[in-house]
Amino acid sequence: MLGICLLPFSHTAEKELLPEGWNHERLTLEIIRSAEMESIWKEVKITSDDVAKLAVGPKYFRESYFSNWEAILSEIITGNSFGVDRMDYLLRDSHHAGVAYGKFDHYRLIDTLRILPKEEDGSIEPVLGIEEGGLHTAESLLLARYFMYTQLYFHSIRRIYDIHLQDFLKEWLPDGYFHTALLDHLQLNDNTILTELFKAADDVTLNGHDPASRIVNREHFKLLYQRNPKDFIENPDSAKAVFKAACDKFGLNNVRKDNYKQRGNGHEFPVITEDKQILSSLELSDTLKNVPIVAVDYVFINPELYQDAKKWKKENIQTIILLKKEENHE
Amino acid sequence: MNRLQGDVVILSLIDNLKEKGSWCGETHIQKATYFLQELFDIPLGFEFILYKHGPFSFDLSDELTAMRADMLIKLQPQPRPYGPSLVTRDGSKSIKNHFSSTLKKYDSNIKFVTNKFRDRGVAELERLATALYVTLEINPNKSSEFRAQCIIELKPHVNIEEARAAVKEIDEIIRDSQKRK
Repeated sequence: MLGICLLPFSHTAEKELLPEGWNHERLTLEIIRSAEMESIWKEVKITSDDVAKLAVGPKYFRESYFSNWEAILSEIITGNSFGVDRMDYLLRDSHHAGVAYGKFDHYRLIDTLRILPKEEDGSIEPVLGIEEGGLHTAESLLLARYFMYTQLYFHSIRRIYDIHLQDFLKEWLPDGYFHTALLDHLQLNDNTILTELFKAADDVTLNGHDPASRIVNREHFKLLYQRNPKDFIENPDSAKAVFKAACDKFGLNNVRKDNYKQRGNGHEFPVITEDKQILSSLELSDTLKNVPIVAVDYVFINPELYQDAKKWKKENIQTIILLKKEENHE
Repeated sequence: MNRLQGDVVILSLIDNLKEKGSWCGETHIQKATYFLQELFDIPLGFEFILYKHGPFSFDLSDELTAMRADMLIKLQPQPRPYGPSLVTRDGSKSIKNHFSSTLKKYDSNIKFVTNKFRDRGVAELERLATALYVTLEINPNKSSEFRAQCIIELKPHVNIEEARAAVKEIDEIIRDSQKRK
């Protein structure tokens, strides 16, 4: 289901390339509820809503509330700590990208998963937790996520190619958006887009020539600025300030920005010990207490302007990142 | 309200709760922010749904993680049975100073919420926040009894007496908050 519900090139700029009010979760719901799928659900004696609820989780399924069991089942699929979606993509991406960061002992992890009460101050609602014996493999899952995000998914060069691809799609797609009609959505795939991208790279008259050519000829924008502890203590939005100033100085077409902060927490879950106590993972694991949060803020510049921009940044950075007066934010 | 202004409201809420002796776990912040946003129409922009422990915002959960990434807050493990607390870090002081007029504007609202909910346990917060959710989102014009029944339908582990008490108390809190708007 996941394979057919995602847009071409998965999550690349789905927010910018889907019309207002759409996201891949809504597309997923439409596909699960389509006439073609309904007949399949009927055959296996489940309803489309049973599938939809678990597939998109409580954040996106608003038609009815989640019972404890439904919340647990949904957590098994999409949860922050032990969601099978995450386990799958880390292992698969690690394998296909040829890096070892994303690997962990998923057999041991799954064997030791348990449904446990959080027992916080009288609360008895159940959540997904783990046996103490599986704690180290849970640590390796969460470290794998950290390494894969910082070393691969959010590497600055990989991200700028996403941005060039998004720029290409914005120019190439009709009205700048992906279709949301199901058949049109299902017919458009990575291969169709790659073919058009190579065509556009070779022909200056075609829509999206510039970003396509940057991808094909590896002439990507260069990293001008990234968040750093010194600057964001002064201004947590320092990258935004640099982006704005760089746009004013070098023009909107020559500057791109990227921003991501890890969602949810995932490091805190109940652990059942050998003597049947239920403790917080953070009490038992110094590693989990100290896994950093993934956060990137990048500003990129047209390579032809890179040297000038670097000099400009060095001379002006302190003024640029000064927080503007509060009234300007209102 | 921009993101940093929203962050300083949350930072101030955490500091106030902590100062008044609250354990200040994520559930506390979730519920206190829900009360703050809904009782006083503070435009924090978080969307709450009915989930574990009552109203819950995935956006707020993400924002708390982002605030940890920005070194504004940190997790502090607590002895069982408590989950970890969220506490502000030194880095939060400068943005709180910078957005002092935002803080001033919402200070009395933050203090109201802090005083009402500082010493509540998770189970109690769950009942009160669910009572507010039922009152605002599901049955605004229904009787107390109807809303109490609605709570036990949504949260079967809550008994009817607790649900009735929660509805009664939330009605009083709504009245009090309206006087302060």
